[in-house]
Amino acid sequence: MEIKRTRERRRKENRKLHLHMAYCFAGMVLLLLAASIIQPDRKTSEEENRVLAGFPKFGLESIKNKDYMTGLESYASDQFVLRDAWISLKVQCDFLAGKREFNGVYLGKKKYLMQIPSEMDEKNTQENLEAINQFYKKNHDVLMNTLIVPNAAYIMKDYLPIGAPVRDQGADMEYIRKQLSGDIGCIDITDTLKQHAKEGIYYKTDHHWTTRGAAYGFNAAAKSMDIQGIVTEYKIYTVATDFSGTLASRSGYHKAEDTVEIYEPENVEIQYLVNDSDNDEKRPTLYDRTALDGKDKYQVFFGGNHAMVDISTTNDKGRRLLIFKDSYANCFVPFLLPYYTEIVMIDPRYYYDNVQTLMNNKGITDVLFLYNMDTFLTDNSLADVLEGE
Amino acid sequence: MIFSSIFFIFVFLPAVLVIYYAVPFRGKNVVLLISSLIFYAWGEPIYVVLMMLSIGINFVSGLELESYINAGSMKKAKYACIMTALINFLILGFYKYYGFVIESLNAILPVDISYKELALPIGISFYTFQTMSYVIDVYRGKVEAQHDIVAFGAYVSMFPQLIAGPIVRYSDVERQLKKRTISIEKFGEGAVWFLRGLGKKVLIANNIGSVYEVIAAPGVSEMSALTAWIGCFAYTMQIYFDFGGYSDMAIGLGKMLGFDFIKNFDYPYTSKSITEFWRRWHISLGSWFREYVYIPLGGNRVSTPKVVRNLIVVWSLTGLWHGAAWNFVFWGLYYGVIICAEKYILKGWLERLPDAAKHVYTMLLVMAGWVMFFSPSMGSAAAYLGAMIGFGGKGLFDMTGFYYLKSIFLLGLVAVIGSTPFVHRKFTEFLWKEDRYMQVASVVLYAGIFLVSTAYLVNDTYNPFLYFRF
Repeated sequence: MEIKRTRERRRKENRKLHLHMAYCFAGMVLLLLAASIIQPDRKTSEEENRVLAGFPKFGLESIKNKDYMTGLESYASDQFVLRDAWISLKVQCDFLAGKREFNGVYLGKKKYLMQIPSEMDEKNTQENLEAINQFYKKNHDVLMNTLIVPNAAYIMKDYLPIGAPVRDQGADMEYIRKQLSGDIGCIDITDTLKQHAKEGIYYKTDHHWTTRGAAYGFNAAAKSMDIQGIVTEYKIYTVATDFSGTLASRSGYHKAEDTVEIYEPENVEIQYLVNDSDNDEKRPTLYDRTALDGKDKYQVFFGGNHAMVDISTTNDKGRRLLIFKDSYANCFVPFLLPYYTEIVMIDPRYYYDNVQTLMNNKGITDVLFLYNMDTFLTDNSLADVLEGE
Repeated sequence: MIFSSIFFIFVFLPAVLVIYYAVPFRGKNVVLLISSLIFYAWGEPIYVVLMMLSIGINFVSGLELESYINAGSMKKAKYACIMTALINFLILGFYKYYGFVIESLNAILPVDISYKELALPIGISFYTFQTMSYVIDVYRGKVEAQHDIVAFGAYVSMFPQLIAGPIVRYSDVERQLKKRTISIEKFGEGAVWFLRGLGKKVLIANNIGSVYEVIAAPGVSEMSALTAWIGCFAYTMQIYFDFGGYSDMAIGLGKMLGFDFIKNFDYPYTSKSITEFWRRWHISLGSWFREYVYIPLGGNRVSTPKVVRNLIVVWSLTGLWHGAAWNFVFWGLYYGVIICAEKYILKGWLERLPDAAKHVYTMLLVMAGWVMFFSPSMGSAAAYLGAMIGFGGKGLFDMTGFYYLKSIFLLGLVAVIGSTPFVHRKFTEFLWKEDRYMQVASVVLYAGIFLVSTAYLVNDTYNPFLYFRF
């Protein structure tokens, strides 16, 4: 009897709970759905740094290959009400649960975000190194150097979450040195960067090195590049204090902000004109002020990557430098200006013309390959440009 | 479409439910059938035809069987039943095992047959087993043949259990197809199940699974024993919360539609023997094999050698059901052998052990089983097991292992506690004290699970569903 009564009571209690749950669940679903419908569609997401999905186009073909279905699913998710708030809630929960890796990015000490370095793409890396060797054979009268910059996660080991596994980029550097023919300089600035690891040589929220990091890098590399009498005094301008870079977007962790600096050599009288393949106009500056109003403030250097950038200066020593590079070069090249008559930067990811012709036409005397390790080990464009068919 | 997605929860489900609740009862099966076909075609716009074909064949076969039985010609009925079973197996075999069989032939015989790997139609293992249960039970006279193709189609294709089970036997829902209670209360009960499952899948399984992925990716040469154990633990928890969560969601959705399915998991990791583990793990699959393979073979009412044979047959098939590869067969056999051993050899010894030791014994074997299950080959399974006892590339402990330990600790603790009945028991105890505040608190708790899960779904970069492979 007693048991029966208890059961009856339990059933009733459960009933009440289930009624509440029914209204609660249905209410939440419908509320969020309605809010998502009412909210106007957004084209892009600033936080995530990408274009958001729009309503997919209906068609038989797109149904057959499922594009329409996946399109609708992305649309529902991308245009969900308060999308950014949900994502930061998610990151917050992850953080509370002890997670320190978000989408391929480590969250280190002092809110440092560090991209987890990729594995080496052995085939491409080997091809690229072999192409560099071949390129030197054809142009053995120029001074040729490689400057591969290790990434933050390797240099700033002390800042990583304790024990977090990171690829040994020291071993990668050794591999590159061995593969390159002996006459090509392999500039290794690892030790210099490690000495200054605490001084903010990488951005907290972005995968690039800072101008300060590039300054240390330049000082360490100058000798191998046969640059004498280097400038030691710089005037430093802070051009942005609220930079939130690609790693913040990738991880969804938005708690840190970076400062962007520009270094101007002091006591050097030099004029220059900059010309790039995406703009007709020549301009007397390396910097793109408009980038400071945008999201990616690292683009202040040269306005981002271009297939080719050509800088001619009033320096009359006659040295002409060709740089094959990724975006790590953008904040590094300004340090080189006082020492060259002309500097040509080529980004092989976007460049399709013949480099050998360029070498001859410009009368190039110096060549530099400047990459960050992560890009260099995964790059698949350098060999093609060097072989230049 | 998977349940744990923004589109399913906020678009598909409300749309279906609104229509389903709005139409009168005789229209509900139609709504269910159509929405299930859309649900399936969403992921398989071509293979939906295959499923409809399967529905048609088995429906007609049921009617045919009935007419033979009514005419008293059991021989014809038996023949027809075997034919239908054969057709079902051929379809399943063609899509799921064709590549595997040819590859094995190429390996054994001095031939080199070329073949084109077919994409596995989602859920085919599940719905084939459902239609088989129908045909066999009609033949045995356990259920009556279904004369309404809409009801039958709705049974086979019912979207809550279509792609990942539970394998609902026709006899379990025969009456429900005709008459079922649909009420707000039952909807709420379904919501409780659904949200519990959603939380298991999205908050626990996905997160703990990503730790497993990271650990497994570089291979055993980068593993210390500590890392290997954490990886194995993470997978063990992932697969339970993934599959168990999905089953809970299926049961919850079923309730929202007025159906009651049997539960598919019953705290399997609290088992004290492997035999018990398999009574608690994927219950609907185990009972299907018992009902339609083990018992027809004679079950355990035959001589000992035959019982052993029966067990080995059932467990090889169970392994093979999980995937068309040899390591799944070995995985099944592994359990077959252990269960035989427990039945005949270990019985007395096991009974004398203290409970704690029984749990340790069971979990060690289960975890070793999962290593076989997640490894691409038997060789790599052996290498992984080796890493767990210190023969990996990094010895017994390393800092990387501690990093993983730290990142998994809280979640792992929640998972361990959640895989026992403790929380649920405490929770219901409180709830039944007729305390208004506890009522409110539990609604708030479920709402919280829902909100946090939604946050993870919005951010979905990692949401593979493990059981799609089967």
